[in-house]
Amino acid sequence: MPDPSSLTKSRTPRRQVTAPLLRRDSMGNAYHVLTFDLPEGMEALPGQFAMVRGAEWGDAPLLPRPMSFLTGGNRPSILIKVFGEGTIRMARAIPGEPFEILGPLGNTWPAVSPGKRPLLVAGGVGVAPLLYLARELSSAGEKPIAVYGGRSHRDLPLNEELADVSELYITTEDGSRGAAGRVTLPLPELLSDDVEVFTCGPDRMMAAVAELCAAKGIRCIASLETPMACGYGVCLGCPVKRAGGGYLYACTDGPCIDATSIDWGEGNHAPRRVERGER
Amino acid sequence: MSDQRIQIGGLTLQNPVLTASGTFGYGLEYDDFYDVATLGGICTKGLSREPRYGNPPERICETPAGMLNAIGLANVGVEFFCKEKLPVLRERGVTVVANIFASSVEDFVAITERLESETGVAAIELNVSCPNVSKGGIEFGRDPKLAAQVTAACKAATKLPLWVKMSPEAGDIVGVAKACEDAGADAVTAINTIRGMSIDTSTGRVRLANRTGGLSGPALRPIALRIVWDLVGALKIPVIGIGGVFTTEDAVEFMLAGASAVQVGTANFSDPLAANKIRLGIAEYCAARGLTASQLIGRGRPEGA
Ligand SMILES: Cc1cc2nc3c(=O)[nH]c(=O)nc-3n(C[C@H](O)[C@H](O)[C@H](O)COP(=O)(O)OP(=O)(O)OC[C@H]3O[C@@H](n4cnc5c(N)ncnc54)[C@H](O)[C@@H]3O)c2cc1C
Ligand SMILES: Cc1cc2nc3c(=O)[nH]c(=O)nc-3n(C[C@H](O)[C@H](O)[C@H](O)COP(=O)(O)O)c2cc1C
Ligand code: FES
Repeated sequence: MPDPSSLTKSRTPRRQVTAPLLRRDSMGNAYHVLTFDLPEGMEALPGQFAMVRGAEWGDAPLLPRPMSFLTGGNRPSILIKVFGEGTIRMARAIPGEPFEILGPLGNTWPAVSPGKRPLLVAGGVGVAPLLYLARELSSAGEKPIAVYGGRSHRDLPLNEELADVSELYITTEDGSRGAAGRVTLPLPELLSDDVEVFTCGPDRMMAAVAELCAAKGIRCIASLETPMACGYGVCLGCPVKRAGGGYLYACTDGPCIDATSIDWGEGNHAPRRVERGER
Repeated sequence: MSDQRIQIGGLTLQNPVLTASGTFGYGLEYDDFYDVATLGGICTKGLSREPRYGNPPERICETPAGMLNAIGLANVGVEFFCKEKLPVLRERGVTVVANIFASSVEDFVAITERLESETGVAAIELNVSCPNVSKGGIEFGRDPKLAAQVTAACKAATKLPLWVKMSPEAGDIVGVAKACEDAGADAVTAINTIRGMSIDTSTGRVRLANRTGGLSGPALRPIALRIVWDLVGALKIPVIGIGGVFTTEDAVEFMLAGASAVQVGTANFSDPLAANKIRLGIAEYCAARGLTASQLIGRGRPEGA
């Protein structure tokens, strides 16, 4: 892991590159890992994201889609969950298909404070930036605790990979895997003064995690997923309400933001879209 | 290389490609991508007298071949711009067009005066056409008399070239543009976004917190082209074309219709290098045909149209 203090400050120049899809690993219909072939590499750190778009998409979908890096380097990869038109296209992509990748964008997860143990809380596809973080922490000899929740056992992509690099607790809402309940279920026991929380997942989940942490005065960093048009601070389309008024911009102030600086109240986010197949 | 210089009133642009207000920040976000001083110019995010936070989320959503935005004119304010952003742009030799908006003539004039006192502003673009704020100028853009009044007042406050940005929602857009021309505008830019809506059928809720948002992108292009064509036919001052310019061909299309230059907007989101690619593309298009950029202007119009 790079020098902790430089984590949020260091900035690798952003680049827009065209890279062919190297492979697509599908986990059912909903989840797919896309790995790109990028010989010159991209120095993306855990927490950072890319704006990704098929080079041959034409006018529809028009905008690139923000996706967290699952890995960086010369074979950068992303984990996608199929939602709408853009992710449907990604889920169908075949090796060799060219993609435009703009990155690395946004800040990184901040360093764990000295003496604290990282506790990662992931919901569904939010696992991507956390698995990247867990891998880095684990190879630095600081195996994190992780809680990973999904609706059912089918909504836990890459849980085995996460188990390899963390002390993993799993929850499913339907009880088909791990403890039956939401991802917050094991938290009361795990949240102690010795941990720091890193979370990514649906807004409502992160709001609940943030509330539990705030009640105990535990530092909690949330990685935000808001709609984005540009990804680098020019469209002003990605605001989240700041605690105390005004806005933070997910792409330039985040995506990793201290949960206490966010106003998690209703009205901050539009109602979460329903996924295909869930309607 | 063919001559790419373009004359807009008294101002010479080194080429006909600018970036559209609100889609390019303050031009300082592109350091990693390319040197924005190579562009014909950049239009800043709309500046107001005081800083503004803008609208609550969601502010944007994608629509067929376009997007809706209701940013609500969030910006740092003219004072901060002059102190923090402009000096850097000036140092780098960027051609800066300051896009401004206000809800009163008095504020329009105050912002103009503030910019007039600085060096490094090449022109001022009056946004009398933002659809996304309740009091933000669109009323000026709909009414020829009001538009003329703002234009004349700002013109009296500055020696800088004054461009007025047209709303496609003005009933009589040619009338508004002519009134601005008579009031001293040096050019008109057209068009700003058109209000649209989108509802998420899975949640049953309107997507944007502001309910409506301005439509931009390729979906807007044929409408923008038609308006530019009409304006060119009716005005003596130059018209700058905006609306869904994504490729060299799109830009050339506007110039053939009579636009003296183009502004690249939403395309910057799909590809941060878009404006630079279009700049190079137009030069190539001209070179292949033995034309200068200014010879492209209106080349698609029949004699006398
Ligand atoms: C920093 C960041 C990291 C992300 N990382 C991942 C990831 O690793 N894996 C993953 O599957 N998803 C991730 N997302 C969410 C992902 O970007 C959206 O699910 C995706 O854009 C939906 O696109 P679509 O075309 O399938 O859906 P559509 O509904 O067709 O999208 C329409 C438009 O809305 C935007 N949009 C809608 N919902 C979201 C959202 N939640 N976040 C961002 N944009 C949205 C899209 O970008 C697009 O412009 C991330 C988002 C952000 C901001
Ligand atoms: C996110 C966004 C913000 C915008 N903000 C402004 C603005 O502050 N002032 C302005 O005059 N126009 C603004 N516009 C309008 C654009 O400058 C341009 O007129 C419009 O988007 C059409 O061009 P395009 O299709 O190339 O984007 C904005 C457009 C978008 C998409
Ligand atoms: S996505 Fe454009 S400003 Fe954040």
